[in-house]
Amino acid sequence: MLPVIDIKKVHRIYESAAGYTHALKGVSLQVQRGEFLCIMGPSGSGKSTLMNILGCLDTPTSGTFLLEGVDVSQLTDDELAELRATRLGFVFQSFNLLPRATVLRNVMLPLIYSDCPVPEREVRAVKALASVSLPADYYDHRSNELSGGQMQRVAIARALVNDPAVILADEPTGNLDSATGEMVLKTFRRLRDAGKTIVLITHDPEVSEWADRTVHIRDGKLFTDEQERALVAAHPGTRSHT
Amino acid sequence: MKARDLLYETASALDANRGRSLLTILGIVIGIGAVIAMTALISGIKQSLVGDLGLDQARMVEMYLLLDRQTSFDDYNNLVDYMPEYETLTIMAYGSGKATSATKSVDVSVLGVLPNYPDVMGTKLTQGAFITPEDEEAGSLVVLLDQSAVRNLFGNQNESVVGKSVQVGDATYAIIGVVESSASREGGRIYMPYSTCAARITGTWSFDSMSGLAASDVDMSTIEKTTKSKLGAYFGIKEEDVEDSFYVYTMQSMLDELNATMAAFQILMTSVAGISLLVGGIGIMNMMLTNVTERIREIGLRKALGARSSDITKQFLLESVCLCISGGIIGIIFGYLGAYALAGLAGSSITQAISTGETKLVPVIDIRAVAFAAGICILIGAVFGYYPARQAAKLDPVESLHYQ
Repeated sequence: MLPVIDIKKVHRIYESAAGYTHALKGVSLQVQRGEFLCIMGPSGSGKSTLMNILGCLDTPTSGTFLLEGVDVSQLTDDELAELRATRLGFVFQSFNLLPRATVLRNVMLPLIYSDCPVPEREVRAVKALASVSLPADYYDHRSNELSGGQMQRVAIARALVNDPAVILADEPTGNLDSATGEMVLKTFRRLRDAGKTIVLITHDPEVSEWADRTVHIRDGKLFTDEQERALVAAHPGTRSHT
Repeated sequence: MKARDLLYETASALDANRGRSLLTILGIVIGIGAVIAMTALISGIKQSLVGDLGLDQARMVEMYLLLDRQTSFDDYNNLVDYMPEYETLTIMAYGSGKATSATKSVDVSVLGVLPNYPDVMGTKLTQGAFITPEDEEAGSLVVLLDQSAVRNLFGNQNESVVGKSVQVGDATYAIIGVVESSASREGGRIYMPYSTCAARITGTWSFDSMSGLAASDVDMSTIEKTTKSKLGAYFGIKEEDVEDSFYVYTMQSMLDELNATMAAFQILMTSVAGISLLVGGIGIMNMMLTNVTERIREIGLRKALGARSSDITKQFLLESVCLCISGGIIGIIFGYLGAYALAGLAGSSITQAISTGETKLVPVIDIRAVAFAAGICILIGAVFGYYPARQAAKLDPVESLHYQ
């Protein structure tokens, strides 16, 4: 079966006043449909860069990225925007909800950029909110009236509303206490059981235990779980981030 | 992105910044208000002059003859035939005298007029009837008083005086009517048949002023010139002297004079408006730039959720245009309110200064001025909103998402 995400030998080099930064050094990764993948790495390892490329917010300097078989590096900015609107769902560490808008309006936000017919929007938003188990009496609350866990569930509903090929979550539990974080992770788990593809980025090993598979990123390179363990064993001086 | 989504986003963004938005549009409000107040007042003044008393005064022409020789009644009859471009032509003789009623005595001006005088001047009567051709033919001892004369001679301008008599000079005249005064005059004015006036007041049939009502198919912009040259030809004036021998005065030349008077006012208001609009526009740009900076994360989020650069441009551009339009609407309302207030304060002195009438000055709501103001607002919003909107659209989604 065609993998949802298929990246091969991706390099990303930033050019800045300080010189060149080689953030990704030949990363290859495949994510299958229905998989819950966790990408772990300390800060500065390149995990944010990888996330941005997976989210079509950034394009690789070299290498290929096929999203559902489509070569993303060939697309124009507007085509990338369309891809983000229809095929990708984002969940951020800091939720990024519009504070003045209601829960429902926040969840419907991606639909205004994807030409979804107006009558269908609320139906889809309600469906998405139901799948993250947010009680219906909150739908008309302004999003800044919610607790952190509720906000993150609204954000997950927003990521789901377009029925994307993959949900990208960047430290989704980073701003939550462990009990609420667990609730959010359970939500991801349930979505994965319902067939969604999820890529989650974290530095927290406890979070990674909820995933089907974990890859490690270190200095712009990816390692499997086994390679990581071998690396840490071979170099006892290397402080594992786990 | 659909139009209604854009409108919704714009409305909620403006609503969130209500206080700041109101302050920002003040410049636009003042600028548009000045434009509207100015145009409303000027067209109000013009209308009060042109649309006077149900008569088309725009077609009225006054002629003054500055000749060395005497004129005669035959000259008048000949001129009526000679100048067919006038539907009606009438002559007047001016005199003065002491008028005495049973109780009072006052100095009045005396006007000798023909029966067709009201057809040209649009004179309105409050009592009685005007001079008839028979009165003119017979040189009857009949007069009409204007309301000022009635007030001065009988105490109250609404006093019923038809049938009473008044003495002017050495003769006693029967009052046959009362003419509405266009402005209050010292003493008052008395109208009598031209023939009577020639025989008893001025002592001559010579006239030096005429008034005519141009036929409706005559071009008013050229009538002043043609009238002068025709009068010159009739009286045998040398071509180079024609200009100085006749003074021809049309409503058009009056309007031209008015426009010249108004020009200073217009320049002042236009510069006030222009400067306020410029400052207002810069204020709008400033606020929009602040807006973009404040909402960098929101912009990043929208881009991550699939907004194209053009969607972001449209959203911020529409916001600034709507800001300007709401300023324009408030400005239009304040402009008309201001025009009415000014008309109430200064209206009567303005109309008195420029016309004989005591007509009320009513500001005119001109749909073209409103459309012009709306156009200006959209233009300012688009021009001054474009740069901030482009700045917003150019933001990098990754950087703006992590902007603190």
